Amino acid sequence: MKSYLQEGTTIASWLTTRDHKRIGILFAIAITFFFFIGGAAATVIRLELATPQADLVSNDTYNRLFTAHGVIMVWLFLIPSIPSVLGNFLVPLMIGARDMAFPRLNLTSWYVYMLGGVIVLLALALGGVDTGWTFYTPYSTMFSNSWVAVTLLGVFVVGFSSILTGLNIIVTVHTLRTPGMGWFKLPLFVWAIYATSVILVLATPVLAITTLLVIAERLWQIGVFDPAYGGDPLLFQHLFWFYSHPAVYIMVLPAMGVASEIIPCFARQRIFGYRFMAYAILGIASIGFLVWGHHMFVSGQSVAASMVFSLLSFMVAIPSAIKVFNWTATLYRGSIHFDAPMLYALGFVGLFTVGGLTGLVLASLSLDVHLTDTYFVVSHFHYIMVGGSVMAYFGGLHFWWPKITGRMYADTWARIAAVLIFLGFNLTFFPQYLLGVQGMPRRYHTYPPEFQVLNLLSSSGAVVLAVGYLLPLFYFAWSLRPGGRIAGANPFHATGLEWTTPSPPPKDNFEQLPEPPQEVYGYDPAKDPRHDPARGGAMAAEPVR
Amino acid sequence: MNEREFKRHAFKLLLAWLALLVLMLSSLGSAYLSLGVGNLIAGVAIATVKSSIVALLFMRLARSSATVRLVAVVGIATWLLLAGLSGVDYATRSRQPAAFQLPRQLPSLAPEQEPR
Amino acid sequence: MNANAAAREHPHDAGGREPPREIGQLGMWVFIASEILFFGGLFVAYVYGRSHWPNGFAQASRHTDVVLGTLNTGVLLTSSAVIALAVACAESPAFRRWTARLLWLTAALGVIFIVIKGMEYRKEWHEHLFPGPGFELDAGGAQLFFMLYFVMTALHALHLAIGIVGVSLFAWATGQAKSWAPPRRIDIMALYWHFVDVVWIFLYPLLYLVERHS
Repeated sequence: MKSYLQEGTTIASWLTTRDHKRIGILFAIAITFFFFIGGAAATVIRLELATPQADLVSNDTYNRLFTAHGVIMVWLFLIPSIPSVLGNFLVPLMIGARDMAFPRLNLTSWYVYMLGGVIVLLALALGGVDTGWTFYTPYSTMFSNSWVAVTLLGVFVVGFSSILTGLNIIVTVHTLRTPGMGWFKLPLFVWAIYATSVILVLATPVLAITTLLVIAERLWQIGVFDPAYGGDPLLFQHLFWFYSHPAVYIMVLPAMGVASEIIPCFARQRIFGYRFMAYAILGIASIGFLVWGHHMFVSGQSVAASMVFSLLSFMVAIPSAIKVFNWTATLYRGSIHFDAPMLYALGFVGLFTVGGLTGLVLASLSLDVHLTDTYFVVSHFHYIMVGGSVMAYFGGLHFWWPKITGRMYADTWARIAAVLIFLGFNLTFFPQYLLGVQGMPRRYHTYPPEFQVLNLLSSSGAVVLAVGYLLPLFYFAWSLRPGGRIAGANPFHATGLEWTTPSPPPKDNFEQLPEPPQEVYGYDPAKDPRHDPARGGAMAAEPVR
Repeated sequence: MNEREFKRHAFKLLLAWLALLVLMLSSLGSAYLSLGVGNLIAGVAIATVKSSIVALLFMRLARSSATVRLVAVVGIATWLLLAGLSGVDYATRSRQPAAFQLPRQLPSLAPEQEPR
Repeated sequence: MNANAAAREHPHDAGGREPPREIGQLGMWVFIASEILFFGGLFVAYVYGRSHWPNGFAQASRHTDVVLGTLNTGVLLTSSAVIALAVACAESPAFRRWTARLLWLTAALGVIFIVIKGMEYRKEWHEHLFPGPGFELDAGGAQLFFMLYFVMTALHALHLAIGIVGVSLFAWATGQAKSWAPPRRIDIMALYWHFVDVVWIFLYPLLYLVERHS
C-alpha cells in the first residue's frame, strides 16, 4: 500500500496537498526555518551579554535583536509548533478519521502562515522593530522609529493562520471521531490540542484587533491608546495580554499533551488519573483567561485589580500541579525506559515545574514589584517555553518520527542531544534567576561588572544548547537515507490509534476505520514487551521492531 | 420542509421582521427621552432582544445542536470576561487629577564642564 | 454512537455523499465566536471611552446622522429576514425557485447599506468630524468617539462587503443550479450574514443613540 509520502512526489503535489499529514510537514519545515532565525538573534544577544560592556552591537540594534527574537520565537515558532505540526499530523489519526474537517482550509492556514512569516521577515530586512515583542504603547504607537506597522501586519496575518487551524481542530474533534470513540477514550494529546484550539479561536482575534489599532494609530493617528485624544495606553496592555497570557497556554498545553503520551508509553503504565488530567487541561485553558493582569502589576493598573489577578494566577497553578503529580505518579512502579522521547518528556516535567514555581513567585504582588522586568522574568518564561514547550516538541518529534517518516533515528545520538539540551538549558537559564533577584534588568545590552560571571555562565550554556539543538538535524536527516533503519508500525509498543496503521501511514490513514481501544492507555508494566523472556529477559537497548 | 411547514416558518419570519423594526423604532424613540443611565440600558437591552430574535429564529440557534449553542455562549461569555475583568481595573483606579503644569527645567546632573 | 462494525458510517466515509450539515455549521459558528472577540476588542475600547467621557461621547454622537443610521438599520434587518426566507426556500421543494431572487435581494440591500454609509462618511468628512488636526468638536473624548465610530463602522462595512460578494456568488450559483451551492451551504453563508447584522444591531444604539434628548 502506498504511503502518503509516495502519493505524488513533485513539489506541486506538496504545495497543493489537502493531506493533513503533508500539511503538518510543511509547517514543520517552515517553523524550523524560523526557529533558526530566532536562534541566530539569541546567539548575538548572548554574545553581547558575555561581557558587561556594550561592545558588540549598539543599543538600538540590541533592541531590534531581542524584539526579533521574541516576535519570531513566539508567533512564528512556538505557537504553531506542536498544534500545527504534531496536531495536524496526529489528531485525525488519533481519533480514527481520514483527515481534518476542512482539508482545504488547512492548506490555506499554511499559506496564510507563510504570508505572515514573509511579511515579518520583510520588516526584519527593512531594519526590524525596537519595541520588544510586547509592542507597548505609547512607544510603539508614537515614538518608535522602526517598522512597527509592517511587523504587526505580519503578526496579524499569522494570527489568522492560528485561528483557522484552531477552528479546524475543534470541528474535527467534535464531528469526526470514529464511531464508539467517546470523549473519555480520547488520548490526552487530543484533549490538549482541542483545549489549545479553543484558546486559539477565542484569544487570537483580540490580538488581531489590537494590532490593527496600533497600525491605525501609527499611520493615521487614530489614537485609541493616546491620552491626548482621551484614550488609554493601558487599554493596549489589557487587550494585548488578554491574548498573550492565554497564548502561553497555547504554547504549554500541547506540550503537556505530548508528555501525557510519552510518559505512559515509556513507563509501561496507564496514565494516573486520566479524568483529572482531562479536567485539568480544561481548567488550565479556562482559568488561563482570567490572569492576564499579572503582566501589568506595575503598569498603573489598580491595586484592587492586581490583587484579583494575583489570586487568580495562584489558582491557575493548581491544575498544572495536578498534572505534574499525575505524571510523577504514572512513573511510580512503572517499567521505565530512558529512550530519547522519555528523556525529553522527563526533562519537560522537571523544567516546567521549576518554571511554574517561579511563576508563583512572580504572581505574588510584592515580589513582582522587585522582580518585574528583571532577568527573573526572562528565566521564568524560558523555563516554561524552552525547558517546557520546546523540550516537549522535541520529545514529540522523536516519539512520532517513526510514524511520520517510517524510519528510526539513532537512539544513542538522540539521547546525547537530549542530555546536551537539558544541561545546556539549565546552564543558560538558571543563572538568570540569580541575576534577576540581584536586580539585572531585562532588555539591556550592558550591565554592571559584578553580573559578569553569571552572564558568562549563561552565554556558555547557550553554546551547549545550540549544539544540542543542531544535533537532531543530523541524525534525523541521516535516518532518511536510502537504506536507513525502517521502523515498523509500532516500534515503541504504544497504545493509540495512530500506531495501528503502517509507518508511514497511507494517504487515507486507515484501510478500514479502526475500532476505538477498550481502554485509552492500556499499558501494563508486568507485560512489558521489552522484557520479553524469549529474548533472555534482557532489556532491549533499542526499540523492538 | 413541506409547504405547510414553510408557510408557518415564513409567517414567523414576517412577524420577527416586524418586531425587529418596532424594536428599532422604540430604541430610537427612547433616545429622545431623558432617562440618564436608562438610555444606555434601554439601548443595550433592546439590542439584546433584537439579537436574540436574529440568533434564535433567523440563525436557528433554538433548534441547533448543544455544541453549536455552547460555542455561541462561550464566545459571548469570553467577551464579557474581557470587558468585565478589565473593567475591574478601570472601576477601581484612583483618579488624582493634577492641575496642568508647565515643564520645569531641572538642574543638570552632569558635573560642571569647561565651555567648548 | 453505534459501535457495531457493520453499521459504521464515518462522516468522512460517506462514499462521496455530502458530509453532514453539522460540520460546516459548527465551523461557521466557531468562526462567528472568533469574530465576536475580534469586534469585541473595539467594543471594549468603546466601553472604556463612554464610561470615561460621557459628555464627549454624547456630544459627538449627536453629530451622527440618525436618519440615515436608522434607515440603514432597517435595511440590514430586512436583509436578514430576506436571507432567512431564502434559506427556507432553498430547503422547500415548492419554493426553491425563489431562492436565487431572494439572495440577490439580500445582496442588493447590502449594497444599499454601503451606499448610505458612504453618504454618511461624506457628510462627516465635510463637517470636519474625521479625527485629525481639523477636528470640529472640542469636548474631551469626542474625537475618541469618532475614532471608534470610523474604525467600527469601517470594519463592519468590510465584513458586509465580503458578505455581499459571498451571497452574490451563491445567488448566481443557485440560479445556475451549480452543485457547490446546496441548501446547507446557503445556510452557512446566511449565518455569516446574520452575524454581520447582529454587530450592527449593537453598533446602532451605541453610535447613534448615545444622547439625543437635549
